Amino acid sequence: MKTKQERKPRIIFHVDMNSFYASVEMAKNPELKGKPLAICGNPEQRKGIIVTCSYEARKYGVKTTMPLWEAKRICPKLIVRRPNFDLYRKTSRQMFDLLREYTPMVEPVSIDEGYMDVTEQSIHPLQLAKIIQSRLLHDLDLPSSIGIAPNKFLAKTASNMKKPMGITLLRKREIPTKLWPLPIEQMHGIGMKTAEKLRTIGVFTIKDLAQANDIQLKSLLGINGIRLKERANGIDPRIVDPDSIYDYKSVGNSTTLREDTTSEEELLSTLRMLADKVSARLKNKSVFASSLSVMIRYHDWKTHTRSKKLENPTQNREEIFQEAKKLFTKHWTKKPVRLLGITGNELVDQGHAYKQLDLFSYEKDAEEEPLLQTLEQLKEKFGENAIQKGITGQKKDNLANTSFSKDFLLDSVKRERD
Amino acid sequence: MKFYIKKERLIKSVQDALKAVAVRTTIPILVGIKFDADDRGVTVTGSDSDITIQSFIPKEEDGEELVEIVEPGSIVLQARFFSEVIKKLPELIVEITVEDQFKTIVRSGNAEYIILGLDAEEYPRLPIIEDGDHFSIPNDLLKSIIKQTVFAVSTSETRPILTGVHWMIEDSQLTAVATDSHRLAMKQATLQSEERNGKSHSIVIPGKSLNELLKVLDESNEPIQMTITNNQILFRAKNLLFFSRLLEGKYPDTSKLIPTDSKTIVKLNAKEYLEAVDRASLLAREGKTNVIKFTTMDDDMIEISSYSPEIGKVVENVKSISTEGEEIKISFNAKYMIDALRAIDGTEISIYFTGTMRPFIIRTDYDDSILQLLLPVRTF
Repeated sequence: MKTKQERKPRIIFHVDMNSFYASVEMAKNPELKGKPLAICGNPEQRKGIIVTCSYEARKYGVKTTMPLWEAKRICPKLIVRRPNFDLYRKTSRQMFDLLREYTPMVEPVSIDEGYMDVTEQSIHPLQLAKIIQSRLLHDLDLPSSIGIAPNKFLAKTASNMKKPMGITLLRKREIPTKLWPLPIEQMHGIGMKTAEKLRTIGVFTIKDLAQANDIQLKSLLGINGIRLKERANGIDPRIVDPDSIYDYKSVGNSTTLREDTTSEEELLSTLRMLADKVSARLKNKSVFASSLSVMIRYHDWKTHTRSKKLENPTQNREEIFQEAKKLFTKHWTKKPVRLLGITGNELVDQGHAYKQLDLFSYEKDAEEEPLLQTLEQLKEKFGENAIQKGITGQKKDNLANTSFSKDFLLDSVKRERD
Repeated sequence: MKFYIKKERLIKSVQDALKAVAVRTTIPILVGIKFDADDRGVTVTGSDSDITIQSFIPKEEDGEELVEIVEPGSIVLQARFFSEVIKKLPELIVEITVEDQFKTIVRSGNAEYIILGLDAEEYPRLPIIEDGDHFSIPNDLLKSIIKQTVFAVSTSETRPILTGVHWMIEDSQLTAVATDSHRLAMKQATLQSEERNGKSHSIVIPGKSLNELLKVLDESNEPIQMTITNNQILFRAKNLLFFSRLLEGKYPDTSKLIPTDSKTIVKLNAKEYLEAVDRASLLAREGKTNVIKFTTMDDDMIEISSYSPEIGKVVENVKSISTEGEEIKISFNAKYMIDALRAIDGTEISIYFTGTMRPFIIRTDYDDSILQLLLPVRTF
């Protein structure tokens, strides 16, 4: 597959759902259509920020990440809905299922966007894009934008050019006219900080980047500088990898506190809540974390992250909490804390996780031995997947967090494999 | 102070004393080694306040003159620097002279070093050990007690008491136990006691002290004298004193943790088995986990295997001498097994299993003074 892709010019789609959460809400409640709608995390708390909003709301200047009170001020008619992640998850699954009807080469990158490699499809790409877009609209009632290009970077850039309901074809020869005039911060993969750095060496447009000096770029941004320059020239060798969502390197959760606090009790209970979430997500992915890190952001935004290698890989909530608590108490400066986070790193698959038993505590594990032996015998008799311990089916969680969108993708694939 | 000394003996004594000198210390003078010259000879002392090693060079030994004292006295010299200096001196005899302000001249042949010394009065006094209980033990037995247990001490400070070896002495019977809570090593031996007062001792000697002691004990067969007080132990060999602080705190009661019955007994040729474990561990080490699997098969065969998702797998069958009892499939850390087998050092060993999640013990029929216990690894 890979060599084929390298030999032949590829045709890549980037499918981007337009204001996905808002669109899903509108599909469910058609009376919301055409009205300014915002999905907001937690309306009564500080972290009540706009997660996404409809195009009607955007016309008033409402933006993602804007605090709710501000959005309400500039758009008093704004309809606010709490997120319903179960529904988004389900809809996204249907969306990717639909895409996979055309090719198995679908790489989800988040809950509402993905790449497709349609090089092998006999139908004309523009025609195919139209079919997919209209099916997404008719079957799921969801608007989308599709970028068509010879690689991922250009496809992503193209889908961004016309929203909502756009189909944009970006050819390599069009790079000087369509891509290069854009200011550098509009390039996919360049954030505010990188853009700022680039401006210091006189790079203001994508064209400037495409023609920038390699050595200067490398000293400024490292190897990523060279990569960005290649992309600015329309070169992007990344392939569409349907399995890439398995390559998670860490599982983490963080939360902003209701207000900056020095209350140890509140901070520890927040850590416990985070440990529970991280544990649930590790279990969901069937992985164990071999090391743990705790992030503390203080009232002045100074952020410290401290890690620790664990004696045994774990997914146990109590163990995660205890280790996180140790790290936190050791490194907390007693200053007011704004945000806390726990991340499990160096993940190992369930089958390869192990726990060195302890002379003074092995009895706890040994108690489970008769049960595990029975399971082992059942497996030998009926096959590896006949029975598993502690799998209670998909948990219905409403974990409102940023990593949610990626975890969810695993669910859909898991379901497919079963 | 002024004396002449045989270079080889000085080098040996300085190197022994240096084993106690810490690289970093809160007491600045302890970066030095103390020299005391008196009418009996020269005493060389190094200490990090936990361990103190004192090596003595007599004026004469077996009719051979080792030291000539011109003027008695004491001085403290920077340990690491001084030990490098004397190793490089050209002649067989070294002359050491202390002048005003602790200025020390080290002369050998035409080479002359002037070293700034420190006041020996500032050097901490040795622990006073007079009224402790005395025991005596053959040199080689002491060494094997240490070698067969000390590797199992904990290297982590989470339970400081486990960084030491627990010595229980009752009626001259010594039981030494070390555990890092993942494996346990136990050795028993008989000591010679002068008093026979039946008094029992329970002390915890830092693992680090025992490792250093092992390095300074020579090959001689003379017995080592031991004196135990409530916070110190002193080992006394010919021309050598070794003091160690004892760890404070209560050592956990391990006697109840050693299983007495077993469900599976596998007897193996120690060398064949060790080699198979070592081969499997090669792959286990690469995979970071160092976990191998031990499975009893038909016809007394044992399967040793290891699997690493990144690298591959290894399977090897070893014929056991005998396998009795239930089948077992158990995983454990290969390094712990290798350590245990090396400590036992027998031609045949027997492993007594009580379950896949329970500790198992390794012994040899030929020497019941030693026992090694391992905790298995639970796989998911």
